[in-house]
Amino acid sequence: MIAKLPRARRTKLDAYALGALLPSRLLEPVDAEQAAAVLRAAHDAGEAVVVYGGGTLQRSSNAPSRYDIVLSTKRLTALYDYDPRDLTIGIGAGMTVATLNAALAEHGQFIPLDVPFPSRATVGGTLAAGWAGPRRAAYGRARDLLIGATVALADGTLVKTGGMVVKNVTGYDMGKLYVGSHGTLGAIVRANFKLLPAPATRRMAIAPFDEELRARAVAHAGALALEPVVLLAVDGFREAVPPARSRLIALLEGSEPVVERATRELRSALGAAGVAETRLLDGPDATRAFQSLLDAYAGIESDDSVTFVARGLPSDAALRAQHVRAALPRAETIADLRTGDVIVRVRDTSGAGSNDTAVPSIDRVVRRLLGRATVVCAGSTARVDAWGEPPSTIATMRELKTAFDPRGVLAPGRFAGGI
Amino acid sequence: MQSFAARLHDALGPEVVRTEPEDLAVYAFDAYSEDRLPAAAIVPRDAREVAIGVRIARECDEAIVPRGAGTGLCGGAVPTRGGLVVSFARMNRLVELDVRNRRARVQPGLINLDLSTAIAGHGIFYAPDPSSQKISTIGGNVGTNAGGPHCLSYGTTTNHVLGIEYVDAEGAVHRTSIDDAGYDLTGVLVGSEGTLGIVTEVEVRLLKLPEAVRVCVAAFGDVESASEAVSAIIGAGIVPTALEIMDALITKAVEAHYHAGYPENAGAVLLVEIAGAHDDVASGEAALAAIARRHGALSWRAARSDAERAALWAARKGAAGAMGRIAPNYYIQDACVPRTRLPQVMHAIDAIARDHRLAVGNVFHAGDGNLHPLLVFDRRDARQVQAVIDAGTDILRTCIEMGGTISGEHGIGYEKRETLSLVFSTDDLAAMGKVREVFDPARAFNPDKIFPTGAMCGEVGARNGVREGTPA
Repeated sequence: MIAKLPRARRTKLDAYALGALLPSRLLEPVDAEQAAAVLRAAHDAGEAVVVYGGGTLQRSSNAPSRYDIVLSTKRLTALYDYDPRDLTIGIGAGMTVATLNAALAEHGQFIPLDVPFPSRATVGGTLAAGWAGPRRAAYGRARDLLIGATVALADGTLVKTGGMVVKNVTGYDMGKLYVGSHGTLGAIVRANFKLLPAPATRRMAIAPFDEELRARAVAHAGALALEPVVLLAVDGFREAVPPARSRLIALLEGSEPVVERATRELRSALGAAGVAETRLLDGPDATRAFQSLLDAYAGIESDDSVTFVARGLPSDAALRAQHVRAALPRAETIADLRTGDVIVRVRDTSGAGSNDTAVPSIDRVVRRLLGRATVVCAGSTARVDAWGEPPSTIATMRELKTAFDPRGVLAPGRFAGGI
Repeated sequence: MQSFAARLHDALGPEVVRTEPEDLAVYAFDAYSEDRLPAAAIVPRDAREVAIGVRIARECDEAIVPRGAGTGLCGGAVPTRGGLVVSFARMNRLVELDVRNRRARVQPGLINLDLSTAIAGHGIFYAPDPSSQKISTIGGNVGTNAGGPHCLSYGTTTNHVLGIEYVDAEGAVHRTSIDDAGYDLTGVLVGSEGTLGIVTEVEVRLLKLPEAVRVCVAAFGDVESASEAVSAIIGAGIVPTALEIMDALITKAVEAHYHAGYPENAGAVLLVEIAGAHDDVASGEAALAAIARRHGALSWRAARSDAERAALWAARKGAAGAMGRIAPNYYIQDACVPRTRLPQVMHAIDAIARDHRLAVGNVFHAGDGNLHPLLVFDRRDARQVQAVIDAGTDILRTCIEMGGTISGEHGIGYEKRETLSLVFSTDDLAAMGKVREVFDPARAFNPDKIFPTGAMCGEVGARNGVREGTPA
């Protein structure tokens, strides 16, 4: 079966380079069984496989220590099961998030995956990377919306977990294990999600503020009765939503009367904080602006740029971001006032290939400021460890890896703690 | 060498350790029918004492079974091999509340409802609300990934757990967070029914109380038409905070007991809760009422006061208990189907009950497709006992055929472990087995639970059982 799979010419393989390594083969299975066959053959041959979706978040884990085969999910785009009246969907892992969003929009439904570059990002990659976007405070994370999955394990066994129902306590919740595992435990080939009815109205409010008003603006916007689904304090990221000044960005979603009321409350709260101007974008304009903001999370500004995300408490996010900007004057930050995330984009000026150990690497600097922080994306010359210090439960995680992939077939060395 | 009991006494003292049979009787059972006395029980005050108990049990080769309130319906808390029961009756504190960030750290023995009551003054609440919430504990809820009526819009327990402290099979204490780098151990521990570790603290996510809440009751001629209405509501893209159905049998029992104001002569009752911003609640009710009428609702009424609302909910959550008034014994099944299949599955359940000459009551989380058929029987009649077992299995098979599954919120426990292989292949189960092997290679934590016999070596055969009429 594996011999029948289309193989790419070497030139095409350059696009799949990770770190200093190039794979020798690109395989594009068309269904779950073929994907499993790829892994079974690699397992038997002792080869290393990296599962590849759209590649938008590949830099959020480290380069592999070995790399023979790219298992691309791009042909796993089946729509298996979608009855809109069930508010659930089952799809191939290689479907892009944009395709999924379009299919759902036709029926007035949505799934808040909130990914950068949705026309390239795949559903499987989004899950594997454990992506958790800014609307999760209102709607939950991808991990919370996943109700079932089919996964090809390292030895080519196909296993399923969960199902097509929205409540399910049937054995271990294995889906949680594969989500965020960065392709180190198995290749997600199919995913089932629960869906949400799309909000009738969407509006983005953008309020630039002067530095002396920052604390009040953040406090007032954070205390609204009708909470925005997204509330960010953005510094830098000029390509996202103009102006390039410090600004509060709020996304309001819901019925029209509620969005109108939320707008009035937001304007009056910001006005009371001394923020004069609040610009509004509606409907498709708001959607485009929100997407450009999400793209900025994983946008590579220059070869030496690196973007980190540090999870934390909502109450601390603005101060933590400020702390980073004070220590690193060229850092760009997004303080997520609802989820607590702090997004930091900096440049790794240690210089490509520099062996000067006297200059602490930029990831160490950022982690000293923010504690646990992981990499979202990095330019080609940036030298960063995607993970930092592993959590205290790393021994259990290593044993899980060994149990699922004893031969180190899947993405060896890419994950936290060198898994 | 000292006995197991003596070692526990030496290490933890009489305050914590129970070894007399009369003291152990309360730890022998849950709401399932099987029971067995443990060799010992501990009622620890902190994680350190839990860890000591675990280490001693392991050294003495005794099984370890964690216990919340014992409300589980599937035998998950039954110490099927004797051994050590760890009761969380004393570890019931709200350790830390962070109102601003809507998080709390709680001990596993904290009663579900006590958490929401304690924090209500801050305008926040803990969303998972199993019907047993007046007595069941957060730790037990974590073990079974418990649900409840409000899961429809808020999700189940797993969506509200941010981190866990647990004691591993070596007696070491660990902490997890969903924001940790690495594998999501938190997500794997929730719903693992005490088989991977003993949870000693839970960090939970809290939600802001909605601005407005409205509870409405609609009467229907029969369960099928009420189910059609629910499918239509979900299909129209409306997700209220709760959509519950009770059939005629249950409604009568509930009204006789609670006098909450449900329409007693209806063939089925639909309970709807809408919550959110003021504007949405009013328009939401109008939209829902219109759909209900189109699908044959005979009446629609909104609760006029908070007291009336609370009474309707109290009666709904006490439905299983109220059945005790009219049934010598009953057996509650728990299964889940895709929501479009509700009318069909309700029809099938009715047919199955008739085939087995049993009375069936239905009270269920219709919006989630989560069924709770309640089979009435007399345990003194062997024919009826067998009929209940057979009907229960038929119902599960029917749900699987309709694309559903065998437990929506109660878990697998001891009762359903053989049925698990109807849903999952040997390979699927082997993947779960790998996780078990990593966390607990000796299978000391809650043995005989979840996994079918034969799926893992070293597990003994199961017997079919039927539980008695215990409130759910």
